[in-house]
Amino acid sequence: MAMSTEHSKIIVENLKYKYLATDFLALDGISFSVEQGEFIGIIGKNESGKSTLCQAIAGLVPNFHKGAYGGRILIDGLEVKNVELSELCKKVGIVFQNPFNQVTGSKLTVYEEIAFGLENTGIEKQEMIRRIDDAMELLDIAKYKDRNPFDLSGGQMQRMAIASIIAMQPEVIVLDEPTSQLDPQGREEVYQAVQKLSKKGITIFMVEHNMEKIASYSDRVLLLDGGRLIDFDTPQRIFSREDLDTYGVEVPAFTRICKELNLKNPGTGCYPVTLEEAYDLLSKEKREM
Amino acid sequence: MKSISLYEEKGSLLNKLAPESKILYIIIALLLPVIMGSRWVSIGFIAVSFFLLLISKVLRKTVPILSISGFVLLTVVIIQGIFRAGNVTPVFAVGPVSFYKEGLMFAFEIVVNVLNILLSFCVLILTAKPSDIVENFVRKGFSPRFGYVFISVFQIVPQMTETMSTITDAQRSRGMETEGNLLVRIKAFGPLISPVVMSSLINTRERALALEVRGFNARNKKTFLNDEKKCGADKYIQLGMLAMLIAGIVWRVAGWR
Repeated sequence: MAMSTEHSKIIVENLKYKYLATDFLALDGISFSVEQGEFIGIIGKNESGKSTLCQAIAGLVPNFHKGAYGGRILIDGLEVKNVELSELCKKVGIVFQNPFNQVTGSKLTVYEEIAFGLENTGIEKQEMIRRIDDAMELLDIAKYKDRNPFDLSGGQMQRMAIASIIAMQPEVIVLDEPTSQLDPQGREEVYQAVQKLSKKGITIFMVEHNMEKIASYSDRVLLLDGGRLIDFDTPQRIFSREDLDTYGVEVPAFTRICKELNLKNPGTGCYPVTLEEAYDLLSKEKREM
Repeated sequence: MKSISLYEEKGSLLNKLAPESKILYIIIALLLPVIMGSRWVSIGFIAVSFFLLLISKVLRKTVPILSISGFVLLTVVIIQGIFRAGNVTPVFAVGPVSFYKEGLMFAFEIVVNVLNILLSFCVLILTAKPSDIVENFVRKGFSPRFGYVFISVFQIVPQMTETMSTITDAQRSRGMETEGNLLVRIKAFGPLISPVVMSSLINTRERALALEVRGFNARNKKTFLNDEKKCGADKYIQLGMLAMLIAGIVWRVAGWR
């Protein structure tokens, strides 16, 4: 399954967690490791522990939400549980589902809003301006810099939330269903932005219900069910599993079609998961006919 | 988005001054009349406040503030003028009711004090941006957390008002009556306010998470994107006002002998 090397960026070892006032484990014995710069998709049905895992990586579990915690998460050799959130936020950034609730409400312009985290962590003014300009450039929101944060559309607001995190220059960014409340255009804007970050070598964890997107962007996919890690592998191998229905995962349309046609990629022995892959395979098939 | 702050940027001289100078102005406008024990000082400060508001082009914004308190003050004048204990010297009569000099003088003093307080505070709140006031305080060692609470009110409250109107529309579309006589409105209050409270609680929790991951509780020294709001004249204005305060105290102490 996961390659467990000493040099991995993030190592999760037998992670267990139970929220206060519940009597089941939200995370149950999860272990995996991730290399620097990987794009990891996290999938699973509701209540499978996706958001809890995200918050555990960002240290909010157990340092914000109390509860019973076991095992450990190491990021660059630092044990997340023992690092204060105000320190960890320089290494790991997290973007939540609702863009609206991520606006601090204490700043009057988008530019100042992005500066919020930098002011708190004591970045010098010149450096701050440089980072904010970079982040706004990357997410293509420079044109809104003097607008009130609350006057932006959902997609713009979510990109501002991502920019606020990017500006803090974390090495790992966790996105917990960042596009679920956005329209298709807003969703595409966010995806484009995240892909740019991934290319810059930032490790990305992304929870997403749109399997086509997960299939085309992820290097590896983490499949969770009932707080347990079911599988952690390439999208091709994950989506070629026969038992995905039991985990409430809907396979990408291209994979479904190729499954019906029994078309496997001879290179990997798996069904194709993206449009391009399916197209290549089908056109090859056609030529052979 | 509509703001609940009364501040408006007019590019005036007072807009450029540091908020501290204006706060110091409030302090001496309220303290000096007490120290010097003369209502003429209050009247002087009222005139100065009027002048400051006039050159800042915000005098018109004081009208709603003054008209609300003016109504209260009018009742003070009437009641004190007619009924104050110790009223002996009638000044004028309206029909069968006569107004007395002692009561009117007492009411006049109250009016002067209230106007002085209102106008000097107007000088601050109409010409200083709330975020500048708080930021300058945080620079001087005020807790950033309290600063956040103070400043976020200006944005979160209008947001809650907006949520409220969305919920009102939603409940109305389900057939709930929200308009009509008092009883109807009271009955509508519960179904309207409870979703607002619930959603505010949930939003607050989520916002707390979002603040936390942006270093809200960091212990290191904060830096600031914006430069401190002040100009060259501030130092002299503040020194001048302190000198006035000291002069007032000296005058009073010397006057006692």
